[in-house]
Amino acid sequence: MAVADFIKSARESFWVGWKVESNWADPVLFATYRIVQPLASLLIVAFIVIIGASTGAGLQRDYLARLIVSTAFFVYVAQITTNMGWLVHTDRSRYEVLKNIYISPGTLHPYIIGRGLVSVVNATISVIVTLLFSIAVFNGILNLGIPINLLSVNLLLLVPTVLLGVSGLIAVGYMLSAINIVSNRLEFILGESLAGIFFLLGGVIFPVTALPSQVQPLSAILPITYFLDAVRDSFGLGTTGSALLDLGYLFVTTIGIGIFAYAVYRKAELRAKRLGLFDRKSEY
Amino acid sequence: MTLVSPTLRDEITANMRAAKARMWVRIKGGNRELTHYIAEVVLPVLTIGAYVILYKTLGLPSSLGAAVIIGGAMIAFWTNILWNMSAQWFWEKEMGNLEMYMVAPVSRMSVLLGMAMGGAINTSLRATGIILLGVFVFQVPFQVHDLLVAGLVFLLTVISLYGLGMVFASLYMLYGREAWHTNMLLQEPVFFLSGSYFPTIYVSVIPVWLQVTATLIPMTVGLDAIRRVTIQGQGLMAVWPHILALIVFIAILIPVARMALNYMENLGKREGRLTLRWQ
Repeated sequence: MAVADFIKSARESFWVGWKVESNWADPVLFATYRIVQPLASLLIVAFIVIIGASTGAGLQRDYLARLIVSTAFFVYVAQITTNMGWLVHTDRSRYEVLKNIYISPGTLHPYIIGRGLVSVVNATISVIVTLLFSIAVFNGILNLGIPINLLSVNLLLLVPTVLLGVSGLIAVGYMLSAINIVSNRLEFILGESLAGIFFLLGGVIFPVTALPSQVQPLSAILPITYFLDAVRDSFGLGTTGSALLDLGYLFVTTIGIGIFAYAVYRKAELRAKRLGLFDRKSEY
Repeated sequence: MTLVSPTLRDEITANMRAAKARMWVRIKGGNRELTHYIAEVVLPVLTIGAYVILYKTLGLPSSLGAAVIIGGAMIAFWTNILWNMSAQWFWEKEMGNLEMYMVAPVSRMSVLLGMAMGGAINTSLRATGIILLGVFVFQVPFQVHDLLVAGLVFLLTVISLYGLGMVFASLYMLYGREAWHTNMLLQEPVFFLSGSYFPTIYVSVIPVWLQVTATLIPMTVGLDAIRRVTIQGQGLMAVWPHILALIVFIAILIPVARMALNYMENLGKREGRLTLRWQ
């Protein structure tokens, strides 16, 4: 398939995905729905730190800053894995169009990626608003003096980090779609389970070194760990020492997860064809 | 030939049988796949684990970890209420079952009651698993001195939560895709407001207006009471205001659910939206 055709199919898929997700409400209501959830997640962890400080431990401003940035960018993980985890179920069982998409010349690859990009756009809006909201609340209203300066962010580091991180997450979502094609009624569990594992092992709200030593190697092979490390580096909040090293690890783990996801997809596709699973309908 | 009007006893029997039947479907459907049960117990423990480690990293007492485990167990109820209670008419509509409920000679409230009982039983099994696994993995302290009060508070919390679920179910009856989005909207904000992942909403650090807003959610009140009884070892004297508040919630929510259900059903019939799929 030519690159131009692939891009065209992905673009059409993005447009379908955007319509499916957004055309049930007016833009303001839709934006509210997309923003409130990540804000609440951020407030939970921020209040843990603030309540902890009220017990006499003192407010750890650097820690809170890292936590705010990590939680804000974790929105990419939560939204991409969850939404791409549902994709096959909704298109196969609810709208009953998966088989039509599969037999069309465009194939499923650009379709899945295009739909994943909708989550990326939604998540990007959520991340930006969450960061602005954090500054307004914690440094404006509560006057806590959290060391986050959005004007001094290293964009030369942040932009490639987000591009690589998002690519890795779309590869994860692609793998989830493949697993959902050959499985039944796992769509709710898969995406959220994976997001839960990433939340625990990815160093989102505490440093990876706080994990039990037996599970730290698992953390070291996840792209999300380096994604968040590099994001914090770009905000001047890094603790690992080398931003380029984090970016390098992110690149390697993203390539690794991409290859693994493609292999899983190929295997799932062959199995689905053999067993006739592309039009299987399951209900609860 | 004349139709015989059913007696009150016949009607009560029919409605109870409908509730039992709907409960049975829910229990059977919710427990037919072991993988789902395992995932629904292990998944919250992953998130709980992250918060327990955060507390340890901040050097805070381990009793806060126990508070998070209780919060995680109650989140299982809230999630069940959102996805399997509030959005249930939406799912039934999508599957073509809603019209069958509409023509059945029983009150829709009995169907909701069956859903609530089945959901409460299923989720209690999962919440027990979450607490046992959480205590085993994170070794956090609990001290229950008054099991009866603990049970009473838990029961009232669950009934009031499912009462709220019944209200939502009625309001969601005509929803299309917004059911999904509304559920997503009601997850994290309620986790935050109810203080599921931090020790309590009722501390001076939290602004008073936020505490008052949070008190409008039965889970906030119930969760605070359960934590006082099971972690701080307090008794009836400490939680009687919570018990009173939960009784008030129940007394208000169940009649409101009935009114909302009738209103939305009539509206749906007038606008022809009760059987509309794929909106």
